Amino acid sequence: MPPIRDKFTIHSKAVVCQDVELKGDITIGAGKPPMPLPSGPIVIGSGCIIEEGAIIVNRRKEVMRIGDDNLFEIGCRVESPTVGNCNTVCTRARVHHTLRMSSYCVIGAGVLVVPTEDEMLDDYTTIYGPSAERRIWSGRGKVQEMDLRRKHAEYLREMLPKFNRLRRGDGT
Amino acid sequence: MAPKIEYYCPCLAESPYPPPPHLASSSYSFHALHNLFFCEECDAVRCNRCVLVEVSGYYCPNCLFEVPSASVRAEKNRCARNCFLCPNCRNTLTVVPSDPPEDVDSRMSPIVSTTLGEPPFFLYCNHCRWDSAEVDITFEKPTGLAAQLQKFEDSAPESLEFERLKEHFEPFLRASSSSTALPSASSHHVHTNPITAAASSALARDIPGVGKYNPLSRSRIGRDKAAHRQEYPDYKSRVEVGHAAALSGEVDVELLRHLETVGEVASLEQRWSNSWVTPLRASDLKPLRIPLQSKKSKRCPSCRHILIKPEQKAQSTRFKIKLVAANYLPAIAVTLPHAQAALEMMKRSSAKSVSAAAAAEEQQTAGALIAGHSYSFHLAFTNPLYDPIQIRLAKAVVPAHMTEDAEAAERARRSTFQIQLPSAAFPVGAFAEAWEYDDEDEDMFLDEDGVELLDARGKKGKDGRGKSRSVGIVDKRANVTIVSGEVLIPKEARGDVKFNMLVSYTYRSDDPEPSEEVEVGTPSRSHGTNKAPEMKNFSFYTVVDLGSIMYREEPKLTADL
Repeated sequence: MPPIRDKFTIHSKAVVCQDVELKGDITIGAGKPPMPLPSGPIVIGSGCIIEEGAIIVNRRKEVMRIGDDNLFEIGCRVESPTVGNCNTVCTRARVHHTLRMSSYCVIGAGVLVVPTEDEMLDDYTTIYGPSAERRIWSGRGKVQEMDLRRKHAEYLREMLPKFNRLRRGDGT
Repeated sequence: MAPKIEYYCPCLAESPYPPPPHLASSSYSFHALHNLFFCEECDAVRCNRCVLVEVSGYYCPNCLFEVPSASVRAEKNRCARNCFLCPNCRNTLTVVPSDPPEDVDSRMSPIVSTTLGEPPFFLYCNHCRWDSAEVDITFEKPTGLAAQLQKFEDSAPESLEFERLKEHFEPFLRASSSSTALPSASSHHVHTNPITAAASSALARDIPGVGKYNPLSRSRIGRDKAAHRQEYPDYKSRVEVGHAAALSGEVDVELLRHLETVGEVASLEQRWSNSWVTPLRASDLKPLRIPLQSKKSKRCPSCRHILIKPEQKAQSTRFKIKLVAANYLPAIAVTLPHAQAALEMMKRSSAKSVSAAAAAEEQQTAGALIAGHSYSFHLAFTNPLYDPIQIRLAKAVVPAHMTEDAEAAERARRSTFQIQLPSAAFPVGAFAEAWEYDDEDEDMFLDEDGVELLDARGKKGKDGRGKSRSVGIVDKRANVTIVSGEVLIPKEARGDVKFNMLVSYTYRSDDPEPSEEVEVGTPSRSHGTNKAPEMKNFSFYTVVDLGSIMYREEPKLTADL
């Protein structure tokens, strides 16, 4: 494997803190993501919130695509090759690289998802509890949740630059 | 396993002596110190098995509302406000409004700051994303939801049947309770508070035949029942039993026949907390009102003084009255110095790369007691009292009548190991806040110690019971004294090293003037003199469990150490 070459492309509206560890080829859309640590290329969509201590790793050679409006909470670890839109990975949850997420999925706090074979989560799948039980969310309340998510991102976009040094992409 | 010590509560015993610790049944008489209470009036240890428990108040664990006992029954022991359990994962539910009508491309829409509630409202679980709209429960207003749900509950056929049963037995119960309640109440229920009385009478009323906890009155109820039985008409149920069973049974069979995954059937945990018959299908489960909890107060069984009384407020975790044994009896901690040394060694050597399981296993073998060796053990006494105490240890004597029948067995057991305890009394300093101990104090203690230590050793020497070096005071600071004992395990010994130990301590009672010279006074001596503060003596039994004996062949690791 060739040595990882750092190449960051960060959208001008994205907020990336200085102490975020970035490795490899990373593209970040408008939004606010701190803390990924990848090996293959990673593309993060707009409006994503990546909290403290979250780890996003690309285990594969292909591009890891993360959609828009996702929330990665404190201390979670995501290795999914694709993540859709509007997903939530709760605190200290771990998602293995065999799992792909579509949209509106929720991985509960502390849940460990390790499918032995490649698997695609359906839209609105919720995984929760110590034994990683699953159910399909009806989707009621998703508009309010997304509003809240966007307000959350808006707030962070305002507050983070006041208390953190920001990182700019290679281009700017 | 770490060595441990438990305290004896004599409530189960017929004799004043504790049961021999090798009997499995003895574990019911011994408790950890933090589980015990102390009655000042009786001067005795009380445990959770013997105290009288009374309900002092009901509250909802979610909203912390204190529910008056009168409405507890009406609301069927569940919160009547807005607290609900998720039927799927038993998390608490929140009331949320419905989404505003969705645009075609709602994801891209600008932030709508006014997503204020639009009816209908529904219950929503933040954990598993269950919502009550799935089972067609929605509300027009976000308030008074419990009342709406209780209507569902009350209209359940089981609930109606139960109401009918209660109605049917009402006259009969009134008649029987009026005839029995009076004589039993005079003797037994003098001290119960109204809430407890209500609770116990509610219990007794709901389940005919099961009276208040009182064997006497129960038998009387039974007799009365027999006498009155003929006078009441037969009960007719709302629904014919055969008819109802056929109805539900058919449906269930049909459901099971078309089952695809196990998850479709509600699991036991999901159905457990419901009061009435719950639907078999997981998708039909209804939200539950949160069951109420109660704060309990505890009384001494013999003098009926209150030992534990919680504060009335649900938010408060404090107690108005708290007579726990930890405030009266010295806390004892047992350690095996050789095991600790081994642990230290291992920590240092294997700091880097041993897996947790292997490490745990090693720890176990390192702390093992190997047959054919003698070990010293340390007992650390911590004094909770504001006065210094004198402690004297003794092995529990087994009374003659107990040994008679099982004498041979007892002797065989006794031969397995020998315990040596310091025989002289030793002092434990008074309890004080940490900042009150200063250097001066330490010096004073040390001086005293010198005398005490000598005394103990001298006596040991005279007794001539083997190695006196390892038996005696090891360390003394602040309100903690550590003494060491010795256990000698012969080669053929098997089983656990467990023995009963009698701890007696003398303490000064209610005296304003502290004076130094009575420090070494025995209870008998100080009782006579008037000048000296009154000394009192209290003894209690404990069981010391040092762990089980291992054979030499197995743990090679320990032999190396």
